[in-house]
Amino acid sequence: MNENPYQPVNAEIVDITDESPTIKSFVVVPEKPFKFETGQFVELTLPGEGEAPFTPSSSPAETDKMEITIMKAGRITTLLHDCKSGQKVGLRGPFGNGYPVDDFAGKEVYIVGGGVGLAPIRSLFLTLVDRIKDFKAVVCRYGARTPEDFICKDALFGPWQKIGGVDIKLTVDEANGNWKDNVGVVTTILDPKDVDAGSAVAVVCGPPIMMKFATLKLLEHGFGADRIYLSMEKNMSCGIGKCGHCMIGKYYVCKDGPVFTYEQVKGYPKIWD
Amino acid sequence: MKTVFASKLEPLLGAVAEQMELYVPQKSGDYYVFRRYDRSADVPVELNNIRTCTPVKEFLFPLRETAAVYPKPIESEQVKPFAVFGLKQCDLRSMAILDKVFKEEEFKDPSYVERREKMFIIASDCSEPGESCFCNILDGKAYASSGFDLNVSKVRDGFIVEAGSDKGDDFIEKHSQLFSEAPEALLTEREQDRAKTQQQLEKNNAELQFDTPLKEIFESGQDSDVFDVEAKTCIECQACTRICPTCHCFYLYDTARGDYFAKMKMWDSCMRMAYAEVAGGANPNKILGDRLKHRLFHKFVYFLDRYGLEMCVGCGRCVDADAGGIDIRQMFKKLNEELQSKDKAEVTK
Repeated sequence: MNENPYQPVNAEIVDITDESPTIKSFVVVPEKPFKFETGQFVELTLPGEGEAPFTPSSSPAETDKMEITIMKAGRITTLLHDCKSGQKVGLRGPFGNGYPVDDFAGKEVYIVGGGVGLAPIRSLFLTLVDRIKDFKAVVCRYGARTPEDFICKDALFGPWQKIGGVDIKLTVDEANGNWKDNVGVVTTILDPKDVDAGSAVAVVCGPPIMMKFATLKLLEHGFGADRIYLSMEKNMSCGIGKCGHCMIGKYYVCKDGPVFTYEQVKGYPKIWD
Repeated sequence: MKTVFASKLEPLLGAVAEQMELYVPQKSGDYYVFRRYDRSADVPVELNNIRTCTPVKEFLFPLRETAAVYPKPIESEQVKPFAVFGLKQCDLRSMAILDKVFKEEEFKDPSYVERREKMFIIASDCSEPGESCFCNILDGKAYASSGFDLNVSKVRDGFIVEAGSDKGDDFIEKHSQLFSEAPEALLTEREQDRAKTQQQLEKNNAELQFDTPLKEIFESGQDSDVFDVEAKTCIECQACTRICPTCHCFYLYDTARGDYFAKMKMWDSCMRMAYAEVAGGANPNKILGDRLKHRLFHKFVYFLDRYGLEMCVGCGRCVDADAGGIDIRQMFKKLNEELQSKDKAEVTK
């Protein structure tokens, strides 16, 4: 950690990939190695414009470069979408906790993701796949608005589905001509037979409304609130539990999260808003 | 630690000002504010009988400051030692609260830590608590027993000066010509004055002495409409959070400065509409009453859960400053009444 927690590490965007009409992935190379744990987030600075929080979508095993998948949603993300390769940026962090991957050992990991929420989950997925034998199974249920809106399509529609120990099912809100899988929101493909709700751990990441209904569905299936891991999205700014913008009750999402169990946050008002 | 007597204030302040920048209270209208002490200006320094209007956080956590410069970091300008005279116990307690946040082990805020170390604190007893002061409800006192370098108490014919740190002790020793032994009679007088002011506070705030801790009063009011009702007159001026000595939310923004960039830190307010809004538009506190509720829950529930103390010192500045007439004490009372009637209903059942 830098001595001054507000000081960004200089970095450069070296590659940009279009993932969907509103999502791009940026490969960022920091001036010095930048370690993070899967699920932690960084503050990406666009010089002179501002910064915004993102959970990297690449594997933490790579420390010389990092991929950040960004949906065009506000001022900074719109400016980032207009950037070209070679753009200088800054990185602060990593901040917060990651997914407790070691605690998942020996268990079925049930990953429920939606939309751009698949970006942090990609990082988790790659981490799990790296040591797939440590887990009983990795079961993924992903949703997107349309088939075009999935990220990492090449891997997701092909190679990832063939990894031993991995089970992936996809759904879209609106299908197009070639879509043969399920149509409906992600909760429509959550089957009580997918995993053993009494022992598996669930990881949920996506838009707030999707997280809310996925969590309710998981509880209905018998998941304990302490085994549902949520990647919470709040207005994280300083990253170090001081500026106040990302509070959920007594927690600072930036420092105590962004990964929380539902058990931790369920008593506080408006967690999904 | 030494306790001594000084017949005059000016030589003591003069000696401090010779070593460092000194800020002293000055009357501005009905209130005191801090001004830079200037010996040559010939403006006599008044010992403020009550806390200043402006909060001490200004000295440690300025309204706006540069948090970082990039791409090439520069050594920030060193903070020069400075002294503040006339801080009350509520001010010292507000600093202890800010310390919890900005001096936290894991992530220290470098500029806060530096300013805090360079600050020489000269506290003074409170002799005339204001109408809005309710510090005693939050275990506050009209005088400080710790947290200062020097403390000054007005007594007959002069001042009792007490050291509260090694820095304060050294100061007294180095300037021994300014002081004489503190007569026992004057020390007794100081104790009597302190007790009198404390009694005054107890009397003023008798109505705020509840049987239930404030935290429980708030927690039981989670679904109360008190916040929405009170917020009706709020004009969203944010004065309550700016003038609060413990509110410490800030906003980070970036700016271009010629050939380099700066990350700036500026006071923010949780009463601001877009405060908690994320880029996608979601905002848990769109409703003004919810923002007011969050502010008070932060002060009396969340901060206590996290750091073991309330984020309020009962200085009453927010009451004085509120253009909409919102009075935090009225909310205590209303929530407590609601709790009492809830309890009564339980018993009747």
